[in-house]
Amino acid sequence: MAPDKKIVSRFQDRYSLPVTDAALAVEREVIGANVGASGYATVAQADALIRRLSLQPGTRLLDVGAGKGWPGLYLAQRTGCDVVLTDIPAPGLAAAARRAREQDLANRSSVVRAAAEQLPFRPGTFDAIVHTDTL
Amino acid sequence: MLRACRRLLRPAGKIAFYTIFIPSGLSPSEYRRAARSGPAAVTSQRREQGHLLRSAGFTRIEETDVTEAFLRTTRAWLEARSRYAGELSEAEGEAPFRDRQRRYRLQAGAIEAGLLRRSLFVAARGPQ
Repeated sequence: MAPDKKIVSRFQDRYSLPVTDAALAVEREVIGANVGASGYATVAQADALIRRLSLQPGTRLLDVGAGKGWPGLYLAQRTGCDVVLTDIPAPGLAAAARRAREQDLANRSSVVRAAAEQLPFRPGTFDAIVHTDTL
Repeated sequence: MLRACRRLLRPAGKIAFYTIFIPSGLSPSEYRRAARSGPAAVTSQRREQGHLLRSAGFTRIEETDVTEAFLRTTRAWLEARSRYAGELSEAEGEAPFRDRQRRYRLQAGAIEAGLLRRSLFVAARGPQ
């Protein structure tokens, strides 16, 4: 099924908003940190993914529908794994790439603009896949 | 999408995802309220998630209900954003800000009424 254009457009607009001090304060309060999150996966819930997927250095992780890089970049930072972030809205991926550089994760992360149904990778590429509220 | 994901996993690979869904057993009007109140893409039913994973070839499927946390987080967005309404309205636009707050309120009500749930699913790629 092709992604709904209205939904993509809504996230495109959301990711294009300026990041204000107020938005950062709200995110810290709701999610637990400033991680580029705007949904319902908290830091505690991202930590649960680490345990359930046994993420560690050398693990190749795919984050589908990564938005601005949450939780993929957080998981890479916490565990030392490598991460590929995929999504459709370009402003989100641009923000994710910026975060990766700021957090010294650029050599362990990459961003790929792709729909979840058409991920352009070879079979067996990844050790683990995550997504948060994409389905 | 799950079949596509499975193909990308190495043989011992795993998938883990949080997903919001409408539980089974609702009346048609409850279902409509749930669909209106949740995130734009939510339409799937709980059995469908497990069924979809199994149909895609995944095994050792585990589900953990996180609906209570989902309600807390929804309320937290609503309340925290209300406290910063001035600055956020200016950044987002007054109408979009109000609309988003309205949707958080609708969503919280639907969760409280048992019409929306959220779970963590973890599954293994399974054999070829």
